[in-house]
Amino acid sequence: MEGPGSRLILGIETSCDETAAALVTEDGELRANVVASQADLHAQFGGVVPEVASRRHLELVGPVMREALDQAGATLDDVDRVAVTQGPGLVGALLVGLAAAKAVAWSRRLPLVPVDHLAGHVASLYLQPDPVEPPFLCLLASGGHTLLIDVHSHTEQTVLGTTRDDAAGEAFDKGARLLGLGYPGGREIDRLAREGDPEAYDFPVARVPGLDFSFSGLKTSLLYATRDLTPDELEERKPDLAASYQRAIVRALVGKVRQANAERVAVVGGVAANSELREALADAALAPLALTTDNAAMIASAARFVEPVPYPGYLGLDAYASR
Amino acid sequence: MLTLAFDTATAVATSALVDGAEVLGERTSRAQTLLEDVDALLRQGGAHPADLDALAIGIGPGSFTGVRIGLAVARGLALSLDLRGVGVSTLDALAAGAPGALPVIDAKRNEVFTLVEGRPAALAPHDVRGALCVGDGAVRYREILEANGAEVPPDGDERHQPRARFHAQLAQNLGDVSEIEPLYLRLPDAVPGAR
Ligand SMILES: [Zn+2]
Repeated sequence: MEGPGSRLILGIETSCDETAAALVTEDGELRANVVASQADLHAQFGGVVPEVASRRHLELVGPVMREALDQAGATLDDVDRVAVTQGPGLVGALLVGLAAAKAVAWSRRLPLVPVDHLAGHVASLYLQPDPVEPPFLCLLASGGHTLLIDVHSHTEQTVLGTTRDDAAGEAFDKGARLLGLGYPGGREIDRLAREGDPEAYDFPVARVPGLDFSFSGLKTSLLYATRDLTPDELEERKPDLAASYQRAIVRALVGKVRQANAERVAVVGGVAANSELREALADAALAPLALTTDNAAMIASAARFVEPVPYPGYLGLDAYASR
Repeated sequence: MLTLAFDTATAVATSALVDGAEVLGERTSRAQTLLEDVDALLRQGGAHPADLDALAIGIGPGSFTGVRIGLAVARGLALSLDLRGVGVSTLDALAAGAPGALPVIDAKRNEVFTLVEGRPAALAPHDVRGALCVGDGAVRYREILEANGAEVPPDGDERHQPRARFHAQLAQNLGDVSEIEPLYLRLPDAVPGAR
């Protein structure tokens, strides 16, 4: 199976609420990127329900792989490695992708590359056409994670700080819920904040030692600010509340990034799509917008730098919830 | 016709390689290591994955995660090898392995999955009516079932485990594997707008 078209990595990602498959070349060229978002499904619950997510992954995992192959005009004969998210994430959700990935790899005696989801987010920066080369400081901010990572090389990284409670994306979601906005909350708050005054409310930025983050106090402040308002007043103040709340989250993130005092900064994860954060860190390298939320292209990208597990060593591989 | 059959719905995952009516091999382990068994079955039978003709897959009821692992493996194999297959109820496979018995699967939360007038259902153990009951639910709730007049074979009896040879035996009308649905019998624990 040699030849110019025969070096594709099939990536599969099912750690939370996106079912995704992608094809990436050894050189980091993105050939296909398919993400079936479950956001609409989970919107009615106001958040991700693990069992609901897992059921949906099973419905979608076959179709997203098929569509990725179609998009790339490729077949599995062109694939020489299967990369899959092993963790961290919802175990029941991860197991769907892992089982499908193992089956595809086993049936063709291909190696399997188990990928750490967080390393995957960082690797969203390594894709063509503008790959970011390490070393750099990476802010990973999403619904599940808020981390400052010192990325030494493609294979070595050190976590410098993490959140002590909510993730930044979670803070957006919870804030949106308090304001009666939709899910996912980040997009809604971002949209509404444009109509509001970010200095109208003075929401606190938690003072946390070192490079760790904390967002639970902020959510409480928003709760206090909203609970004495009548429905009409809330409606009227909503843009100001959203703008001030977003300002506080962005300030907290940017503050720690500055404190880390790195020469080069990159931002990945769903919160990297936030317009105020993108402006505040204008000098930072940003993941392409389409690759900020969970996707499989980043998983396949990360697999380029991970030692593959040859057949049959991966057949009993299990998923992990946290690292 | 070379059929690969497996069922990961219960605590003991079962798999079998069957050629027509002949069982070439049968193994048991856990859902997460299903493919180790499958790999061993094919090696033992001197077969390559590309030699497979069909899949017979247990669809539950049982552990939600277990059922999904089996079906996700099936979808991966079907995509890769262009296989057709059929879903087999884990209850039907248990019943096929224990003629005359009522299949009773542990559904956790003080319930069992069983057949009521031939249809799958979740019941409280003391509502189960069967003369002979088999399955991990029958073992777990032996005292209740026996008090209701049922006979339950000794704990180690092989009739308590689904055995994939029976899935292969029950496999009829092969179709598109992507259309094989899991048999959950229960909704997820989530209420819209509750969070
Ligand atoms: Zn993520």
